[in-house]
Amino acid sequence: MKEQIYINKTSEVYDAIVIGSGISGGWAAKEFCERGHKTLMIERGGVVEHRKDYIGENTPMWNQEHRGKVENILVDQQHNIQKQCYAFGNTTKHFFGNDRDLPYTTKPGTEFTWIRGNMLGGKSLLWHRQCYRLGEYDFNANKLDGYGNDWPIRSKDIEKWYSHVEIHAGISGSKENLPNLPDSEFLPPFEMTTPEKDIQARFAKLYPERPMIMGRTAHLTQPTKLHVEQGRVKCQARNECHAGCSFGAYFSTQSSTLPAAAKTGNLHIAPNSVVHSLIYDEATNRVKGVRVIDNNDLSEREYFAKVIFVCASTIGSTQILMNSVSKKFPNGIANSSGVLGHYLMDHNYNSRASGDLEGYEDEYYSGRRPSGIMIPNFYYKPDPKRGFLRGYALGGKAYREGWDAQQHQDGLGVEYKNKLKQAGKWRFELYAQGEMLPRFENQMRLHPTLKDKWGIPQIEFDVRFSENEKQMMEDATEQSINMLKAAGLKNVSGHAKHGPPGLAIHELGTARMGRDPKTSVLNGFNQSHDIPNLFVTDGASFCSSAVQNPSLTFMALTARAVDYAVRELAAKRI
Amino acid sequence: MRNKQTSTHEQTIGMGRQEKSRRRFLKNVTTMFGGAAIGSILSGNAISVAMAYVPSADSTLTDGKVFNSAQLRLLKQICAIVIPKTDTLGAAEVDTHGFIDNQLFHCHSKVEQEQTIELLSLINQIAEQSLSAIFLKLNAEQQFQLLTELDLGEKRFVQTQRKAFKKLKQLICFGYYTSEVGATQELRYDPVPGGFKGSIPYKSSDPTWATRGLFD
Repeated sequence: MKEQIYINKTSEVYDAIVIGSGISGGWAAKEFCERGHKTLMIERGGVVEHRKDYIGENTPMWNQEHRGKVENILVDQQHNIQKQCYAFGNTTKHFFGNDRDLPYTTKPGTEFTWIRGNMLGGKSLLWHRQCYRLGEYDFNANKLDGYGNDWPIRSKDIEKWYSHVEIHAGISGSKENLPNLPDSEFLPPFEMTTPEKDIQARFAKLYPERPMIMGRTAHLTQPTKLHVEQGRVKCQARNECHAGCSFGAYFSTQSSTLPAAAKTGNLHIAPNSVVHSLIYDEATNRVKGVRVIDNNDLSEREYFAKVIFVCASTIGSTQILMNSVSKKFPNGIANSSGVLGHYLMDHNYNSRASGDLEGYEDEYYSGRRPSGIMIPNFYYKPDPKRGFLRGYALGGKAYREGWDAQQHQDGLGVEYKNKLKQAGKWRFELYAQGEMLPRFENQMRLHPTLKDKWGIPQIEFDVRFSENEKQMMEDATEQSINMLKAAGLKNVSGHAKHGPPGLAIHELGTARMGRDPKTSVLNGFNQSHDIPNLFVTDGASFCSSAVQNPSLTFMALTARAVDYAVRELAAKRI
Repeated sequence: MRNKQTSTHEQTIGMGRQEKSRRRFLKNVTTMFGGAAIGSILSGNAISVAMAYVPSADSTLTDGKVFNSAQLRLLKQICAIVIPKTDTLGAAEVDTHGFIDNQLFHCHSKVEQEQTIELLSLINQIAEQSLSAIFLKLNAEQQFQLLTELDLGEKRFVQTQRKAFKKLKQLICFGYYTSEVGATQELRYDPVPGGFKGSIPYKSSDPTWATRGLFD
């Protein structure tokens, strides 16, 4: 393959343009390319090559600048927002956006944290890799209580696409046959520790309706032939994933979808190309291409295609649509419904509880498991007595304290040093992962005057958790404390803190799917109701947040939408 | 630093090199799946180490970035008392005091820097008040006794001073257990565990794992 994959200027009319190279964009590109379609993937940031550019990987603490922490001045000037992400540090900071270049505002009295991963691969390099299908209860939730609109799809519409993406990506987990959480196509699950197994057994007796399972995660616990062919091998349990993984042991664009797309010879990538807006042709009612501002020298260029997939992340995709104005669409392209930018959601991680586990002094573990345990949402059936709508899952893990937890104790000298050398007591913790209701008033909009350095209007957020989410976190704290006590843990404590949305980095909604073009932006195939050759397949398309980590659903929706688009193209309907 | 190019990466790099390197990687990993092979694959992949703090043989000879040399000598002795030399080197021997000076300057606030200086002054002040000598002139038993009282916030000290000392202990522990000696000799360091085992035997003489992963 002699052809250059990275391009800058071109007059080629592609079969498909995919805006974004993260989880959704990578899947869109792979599926188009494998169907023989010439595809241009547009990425606003620079190139990150698999392995070669994982510059923070496998660096011992003592060889890192400031032992993994980031210099004050750098944080103050460039990363004041991004530093709030748990994964931000010396070995990952180059994968996070520079806040100075990426300004946004929040409506006075509201807060929203917008974490950015603007480089080839996007947040597929930085994600937490937990993978759960949405199930029938999730797709029915809006319809049952009237918040948000009804999802236009059900499990039967998406099941085979979940399987399709899971087999390629590699998802570890255990078959459970639960009514509230469908199984995936699984590689073996990560092991539980002995205390986790015991707690699992105790919960099974005490709370039979709240089974505890191993977290499902996009890690190769036992690679298949397909994965080995992708150049990927078994997870080494380093748990340093966010720095990049040369083993390709977790799913990312670089490890999985990009090599598959590139192999076809149908892929071009335009890096450093910040999409300003879509080019709309009113005569044919089609999008023809995209206007791009160069990330570095700010020059303008255009790219053209027959079909456009917007996969630029929830906020990024909707920002592009909103900034694409024409006589027919003065309030943003594909926005005849007026709901574009509304129903913004995130997940709510504002409850934690933990306790001490007695015993197990002769038990330990080896390796750093990149996943924890999960208790799927046990409030999946509505119940007015509960006092709030929807529910939450509980994540958690058991671990033995190391020097970092034990350092706080009193003592000095040889005795202190010897204590810190030993593994400490066992702890078990739970945290909630709560659903956020879709509400019209939670929204993003273009700022009327402020622009970024590319001349694109800044986003103003107006989002808050409601009383429903707060009550849910109070309940989660109470339930978690009760469960830990019942399971025999000591010194149990927990709290709900009610921090603002954004930091779950599960932004969803703002260009929702739906059956009715008057109340939704996209149809059941992620296709614009207004413009047939325009698709949005990332989190922007969600009707509800459910409680599950959403990325697996981005993959399945995207693969399904490409399959549909290709058939529609062949039938000359788009 | 080689990563400088990442953000402004040339747009014209073909897949050739990546493809070649991918094949080599695949071959290495699938044919020689052992710790040594894994180590050699990853060794070419490091972030620049030039910016890491390099322990000095004696960082008390000159003024540091936050502390003067007298304060560094006092801090060195505190490091030696909190984490002494046993069958492995202690915090003072691996220049934890020099590391703390550098770390406070780059990654902590001015307020935290000043609080640490104040704590050092307090230790000398209490030593002089009660024993008529600065801390470094006290005998080993007196030094240990004084820091023990400070650690507990008792007798010659109060609870707010105890909190300040706990913060200093955190810096000492962080500096020591993330040093090469602390991580690899005092504790067990395993950069590439090869997988996760949920249950392995443990006896109290086994050191704990040095790394808990970057994010947990």
